Amino acid sequence: MKLKKKGTNTEIPTASMADIAFLLIVFFMITSVFSVTRGLEFQLPKNQDTPPDSTQEEAIHIHVIPAGADCVYEVDREQMRLSDIQIYIEPKLARNPNKFVIIDPDPEAPYKCMVHAFDELKQAQVKNISIPTAAEKASWGNIL
Amino acid sequence: MRLKQPKRSESLIPTASMADIAFLLIVFFMITTSITVDRTAVALPTSLERVEVPKDAAVVAVERDGVVHFSDGTEQSHVINMSDVLPAAAFVIEKNSLMWFIIKADGDAEYQFIDQVMEQLRQASVRNIAMLTQQEGVE
Repeated sequence: MKLKKKGTNTEIPTASMADIAFLLIVFFMITSVFSVTRGLEFQLPKNQDTPPDSTQEEAIHIHVIPAGADCVYEVDREQMRLSDIQIYIEPKLARNPNKFVIIDPDPEAPYKCMVHAFDELKQAQVKNISIPTAAEKASWGNIL
Repeated sequence: MRLKQPKRSESLIPTASMADIAFLLIVFFMITTSITVDRTAVALPTSLERVEVPKDAAVVAVERDGVVHFSDGTEQSHVINMSDVLPAAAFVIEKNSLMWFIIKADGDAEYQFIDQVMEQLRQASVRNIAMLTQQEGVE
């Protein structure tokens, strides 16, 4: 008598593969956040009691004053547009590449104004940018 | 005469490559997904000059009204008092003196909040700071 041999099915069921894959896609699409990873870098000085060697005579002083939603920039006591700061600084920087520039934002000024001024100085390739904090300014006395 | 039945056309959509495409997308999202330690929603200021900030840096996020969020770079950020930035930063600096600190502040926040953060970071002997910005022209 001939026995009937039952053939086993050797296929791997892949019908649900796409479902699982799309589930994972949807999960990663929802959870992924396109984070901002770029910005402006700067180094803080070491904690010291003596102020850095930047006196009023040699440093360029940028005072950021709030004006509504925007700001007014006073460079060496002269009111200036943001775009003019680079033009004002460049010849001074050509004479002395290590020229100090102090950004002195008003406490009420929006943070973005300080960033805009800082950005302008970075574009002008100013090496020594100083942003003294209120406590530092108090300890310096009337230097600014 | 009996007419020949027209040949039926196959109506299958080829799905063999579906899984390949799907897995390709999964791999893409897995690679590009970064685990962010801070999800504070702030309107970042814009700048033209932008450099890549280091990963795994500590984050100090400042909201428009001066609320401060802090993350040491590994844990999720949490709200802290403005006066607690100094001890938190000092604790991070104790472990790694060259740790980068990212200031992620709202562009419309008053500068005095950022000033207070910077003063405390300076006192905590933080050397490396990066201010997160958006590309200028992209709002």
